[in-house]
Amino acid sequence: MADVQSHSAKAQTASGPLQGPHWSPLQALDALELGRHTQDSLEELLGEVTVFPIPMTMRAEILSSGLNVALQRWPKISVEPLNMPKSPGLMPTWKPTRQKITTFGLQFPEGASLIAKQDADAKKDQAANAPPSSAAPPIEILPDYEPPTVASLIDGLNEEPKKKQVTRIKPPDDALAIEDRLFYLLQPPLQSWLAGQELIMPFEPFPYQYEGIGWLFSKSSALLADEMGLGKTMQTITAVRLLVRSGQVRRVLLVCPKPLLPNWQREFSTWAEELPFVVVEGDGERRKLTWTMPGVPVLIANYESLVRDFAAFGEGEFPKFDLIILDEAQRIKNRTSRTAVTARALPRRRSWALTGTPIENRPEELGALYEFLEVVPPNATPDLRQLQSLAKQFILRRTKNLVMKDMPPRLDRDAYLELLPAQQSAYDMAEKEGVIQLNELGDSISVQHVFELVLRLKQITNFDPLTGESAKLDRLEADMEEIAASGGKAILFSQWTKVIDWLAKPMAKYGALVYHGGVPTKQREPILARFKEDPDAHILLMSYGTGAVGLNLQFAGYVFLFDRWWNPAIEDQAINRAHRIGCKSQVIVTRFISKDTIEERIDRVLTEKRELFAAILGDGDDTNVSLSMNAAEIFGLFDLKARHGKGTRAIGPKPAA
Amino acid sequence: MSHGNHDQFRLGFLTAVEDAERGFVGGLLITNRFGRPLEFQCTAPVKPNRTQQILYGPTLKPYVLGELIGRTLLEKVGVKPHIVLVESPDLLELRNATSTLVASLIPAESGSSKRKSPDAENQKLEQILPNRLKLGNETIELSASHHEDRSEIEKFAKLVPADADLREPFERIREALAETIRLSMARPA
Repeated sequence: MADVQSHSAKAQTASGPLQGPHWSPLQALDALELGRHTQDSLEELLGEVTVFPIPMTMRAEILSSGLNVALQRWPKISVEPLNMPKSPGLMPTWKPTRQKITTFGLQFPEGASLIAKQDADAKKDQAANAPPSSAAPPIEILPDYEPPTVASLIDGLNEEPKKKQVTRIKPPDDALAIEDRLFYLLQPPLQSWLAGQELIMPFEPFPYQYEGIGWLFSKSSALLADEMGLGKTMQTITAVRLLVRSGQVRRVLLVCPKPLLPNWQREFSTWAEELPFVVVEGDGERRKLTWTMPGVPVLIANYESLVRDFAAFGEGEFPKFDLIILDEAQRIKNRTSRTAVTARALPRRRSWALTGTPIENRPEELGALYEFLEVVPPNATPDLRQLQSLAKQFILRRTKNLVMKDMPPRLDRDAYLELLPAQQSAYDMAEKEGVIQLNELGDSISVQHVFELVLRLKQITNFDPLTGESAKLDRLEADMEEIAASGGKAILFSQWTKVIDWLAKPMAKYGALVYHGGVPTKQREPILARFKEDPDAHILLMSYGTGAVGLNLQFAGYVFLFDRWWNPAIEDQAINRAHRIGCKSQVIVTRFISKDTIEERIDRVLTEKRELFAAILGDGDDTNVSLSMNAAEIFGLFDLKARHGKGTRAIGPKPAA
Repeated sequence: MSHGNHDQFRLGFLTAVEDAERGFVGGLLITNRFGRPLEFQCTAPVKPNRTQQILYGPTLKPYVLGELIGRTLLEKVGVKPHIVLVESPDLLELRNATSTLVASLIPAESGSSKRKSPDAENQKLEQILPNRLKLGNETIELSASHHEDRSEIEKFAKLVPADADLREPFERIREALAETIRLSMARPA
């Protein structure tokens, strides 16, 4: 090996610095050494193996092809010099290059309109060397400009803002496209949205209202079923305002019962001062013009004119709306009614319904609302379980117990009154005669007959038509004396305008005001204003039908239910005129119930049935029960079924009308 | 009530999330001065290769987030911001790659949290830390190589409400990016 080393050392010195490969090539000496070893081991092996020679001769011919000469020619070899690097280099070289990156973008409507505006401006100013539209436009700042603070925008206070709850808008479950989902995810928290200078809120909404606004904002089908008095109106208007601001809707139609038109107008100017609205009213021509008027973000119409005007338009001619809101949506609970059919036919992209009483009588009524919301196929009859699961997705309902823990309490006092002697005898006679008559009718009996009897009996419990004696009036007078003396205000509800008119005389000394369906619409607002402002007006006499919905009378501390309505939901609606947000003291509710009369029986049946439908709108929610009595229950009041039926055969109309 | 053209003022918020497998996904949200979104751009995941990882060493993240993602997004976005905010001073390098103003929020504990008028506060800050100034409820840091940006940003600082939460939009971007990653994983590529 020493030889080999010296040999390669010699080679190195001979040729200067090493240019070839770094390893030494195999030298002749190494080959000899290797051959010797091989020879030895081969001989060892052959000594033990017998070898037979095999003849391997083969006949081979070379064909004459003319190419054969080339096989005998020596290959030509030439030498070329190669330029080898003289110093070490780096291979491969690497230079930073900018990678191409794919991007994905989403432009918000506000941004898109900014760009459009910028482009238009750029075109206009092209001569004046305006900056290219790709750059951000220069901002001119007024020298005396003071930045607003979020806190000052919310409530005009310069206080250090408290750590506020943050409500983020969630993408709706049905938004699958990534653009849609990002659209919602990238919206700022509602609290700061509302703090924007164009969105001044007259009052800071409650946390649950923020939630409600966020929920509505992200829903294209929604039923807001908050209990009366929790501010459905305000939540709806604010959600509309946000939708308009974010460019998601341009035309909104709000449909409400006629008596609520002034209310909505007032609320819109309070909660969305910058949002122009137009009420659909006047003669047919004018209404038609209003419907098609461009550039009006919000139209307000009542159900009656909507149905009439929709029919007046040709098919496909009715203007399209981005959002249609039905207030007091229980109006469309009967699927086949003209109102319901019209509401479903309205061309729209989003459908919201508002009601404090999503179920008034039967769970199926929810089906009609779902159909308007387009979350069930036409004429679908979802079962209880389906209703429940749809409710989770599309209904938002909060009750006062749940959200308004600090609201003054509502005190219910049921006043059980003995009928006065004259009333009692009139009542007994009417009942006896009535039942006999009903029994005589036999199979031809209808719910109408029973209804008439019930009404007659209820009227007698209010006052005896002959003598005018009334236990309820006596009690009312006693209470009113006290209320008037303390400067309080009370609202009284009755089912009958006749009773209201009758009460007006004895109540005149307490400055009684009358508000019912018989009062012309134009005179109604002044009556409410006077009730609020006149210190001598202590009592407002209202009918359930006209006064129960939508009005804000939270300055009244007392509510009297002179007679019982068929449906506790309506009673609650009525009570909530006074017991709602903004009421400063407790509200005392007195329900007059005449002992041992039909009123007591109605009360019992309604109370027993209260829990039946509770499950549909969620557990623990005890106020969503709004049931009126169906025909079977009305018959049950008189035990007619047992006395008149043959065996188990039920008489009278089927429960579902 | 005149506001000049203050409503045209736009802020950009640039951040990225790192997905262990797929690399960095960057997002740029342009908002008006009240934080309402105007435009959003995000990148496909950017994964540095092994060579880049070795050669860039600790400067890899600023390079990918600033030079690659930030610059691409700024070029791509239609509604150009007046100022881009980033969450880490590392990314101020982006300023060298774009003509847009870039500023970084500094970690909360080192920024002063007392609310005073931004002007008074900024004068004070200028004496101590020439690269820092107050914007919204945050102290921001500017690129050391672009001193001239200070006066421009000071001007804009007036337009941002003093109690505006400048960290919140980054949360939105992260949520949106997580959503895009989630959705793109759910779908076959």
